[in-house]
Amino acid sequence: MTSPAVVEVGPSRGPTFAGGRKSRSSRGSLTRQKQRIGFFATLPAFIVVASLLFYPIGYAIWISFLKTDGVTSKFIGFKNYVDIFAAPLVHQVFLTNLKFLVAIPVVIFAGLFTAVLLYQEVWGWRFFRIVFFLPSVLSASVIGLMFRSAFTLNGPINSALISLGLTPINFFARANMAILVVVLALIWAGFGYAMMILLSGLMAIDSDLFAAAEVDGAGWWQRFWYIIIPSIRQQLAFVSIINTLYTFTSLFGFIFVMTAGGPLYSTTTLDYLVYQKAFSAYDMGQGSALAIIIFGVIATLTVAQSKYLRNDDGR
Amino acid sequence: MTTVAKMRKFKWRTNTIVLLALLSVAITTLYPLFYVVMTSSRTLEDYNKNAYGLPKFFTLDSYRILINNYSLDTAARNTIIVVGLSLATSLIFSSLAGFALAKYDFPGSKAINWSFIAVMLLPSQILIIPIYLLLSKFSLVGHLPGLMFVYIGTNIPFGVFFLKATFSAVPDTILDAARIDGAGFFTSFFKIAVPNAAAGITTLAVLQFLGMWNELLYAYLILPDQEMRLLTPALASIGGRYTTNQPLVAAALCITATPTLILLAMSSKYLVRGVPTGTGSS
Repeated sequence: MTSPAVVEVGPSRGPTFAGGRKSRSSRGSLTRQKQRIGFFATLPAFIVVASLLFYPIGYAIWISFLKTDGVTSKFIGFKNYVDIFAAPLVHQVFLTNLKFLVAIPVVIFAGLFTAVLLYQEVWGWRFFRIVFFLPSVLSASVIGLMFRSAFTLNGPINSALISLGLTPINFFARANMAILVVVLALIWAGFGYAMMILLSGLMAIDSDLFAAAEVDGAGWWQRFWYIIIPSIRQQLAFVSIINTLYTFTSLFGFIFVMTAGGPLYSTTTLDYLVYQKAFSAYDMGQGSALAIIIFGVIATLTVAQSKYLRNDDGR
Repeated sequence: MTTVAKMRKFKWRTNTIVLLALLSVAITTLYPLFYVVMTSSRTLEDYNKNAYGLPKFFTLDSYRILINNYSLDTAARNTIIVVGLSLATSLIFSSLAGFALAKYDFPGSKAINWSFIAVMLLPSQILIIPIYLLLSKFSLVGHLPGLMFVYIGTNIPFGVFFLKATFSAVPDTILDAARIDGAGFFTSFFKIAVPNAAAGITTLAVLQFLGMWNELLYAYLILPDQEMRLLTPALASIGGRYTTNQPLVAAALCITATPTLILLAMSSKYLVRGVPTGTGSS
């Protein structure tokens, strides 16, 4: 059981510390005092969150109805939204973003593969677990630059190609090649996190299940399909949802250091486009509108995915 | 947890195959890192002659150039100030609120809890434009406190969520006993809750340290001046300009990555427990 105790423990039930355990009426003032303490202890965090997150969200919605460069502004209603839905560039960027989703099945497969191997608990498995998790503590900039250096025109990958008698490839000058390199970086960066989540699911499987399967003479594949996969369905769902979210919202670091969105707009992702609109073109209004549309898209995707993956029990 | 191993009839052969498979995946993870470290410690001529193989001799020139000419030492100092102060502040606020929400119900506490969870799921693109405009209104763009505010704000929702769960695991009986002995809120908090939740708090601290250390978007936009840069954006701009001097870029990568790797080595036990938290795995 590796998953921490914190996960399982819900809010305390029954007679609580807060409620007082015997006659409620005689403890009334004490309860009120507890409530006051609870309120004041939560207050600093709430004030920070309200002023640095809640208020900006409202402000973002307001900005999305403005034509503004941050200095002057004019109310233009839904025009930003209309413009975004009509813009061919946004459609192209959305399709590009879909291409990056290719990384997800590979990340999940690699994560599952390594998790199942680690689950055998062979010699040194704890060491390997940390090694696979290594890329997860590195920043997107570090990983992005590593891959860019490796795949640059006179970099080590190309010099390897030359020594094999092949022609060097200018990876970052060709749209699909550039996407491929970013996808490789995403896979290298991401499979360790998936492994960690899936392994925690594997560790929680009741070992009696395997014992019973062995009595029934189930082979490795049968155990894999009929015990392992159904038991870690929740973790698989989580990993695929979190990676989808990530693909639509957190590629900025990779794109920024690897391709800057190019060649032309061929590796520009939605989150990079928000940055460009707001801080290169200084069109804060359109940037905000686009960010809100992205949020709508990922919220829909997340709800749909979690419905699909959770309700699929019967199969 | 050796039950699986017990099921194996051909234990030795299987284990060898598994070990070899693990080793080959480990090489794909470790070799690129090893390559970067090697590249960072060779001269440019040596690198241009042969990008592979071991360097002829080790040199720290690239590191010296980075520290002298690109003031990475200032960047490191700024990073430590911003990350350290933001981490301390957000940990204090999150643990107070987490403890209160776990053990001191009050009217509206559920609503606050849910609002924190909801805001945790917001992507940073929605926030970056209004936060940038707000900070520039208060003339905080270009100053370290501006970035600290952002990090404290974005850390707190997950911090409260994580620590509420951690503090819920502290048994009520101990807290009740302390209360009967006359312990007030702060005594219960510091003498009982925090020591009992130390592992959870450490885990959170490690996760949030890594998050801030590796953050690029806010750090880049809110501290635009070259001399105020934090490490990660400084690295990104060095990497963007010097594509022909690979040893220099590699050294910058090493400087930025080393602290996080050391932290991973020291706190792996916390990360192994903490990372799957909140995934619904039980």
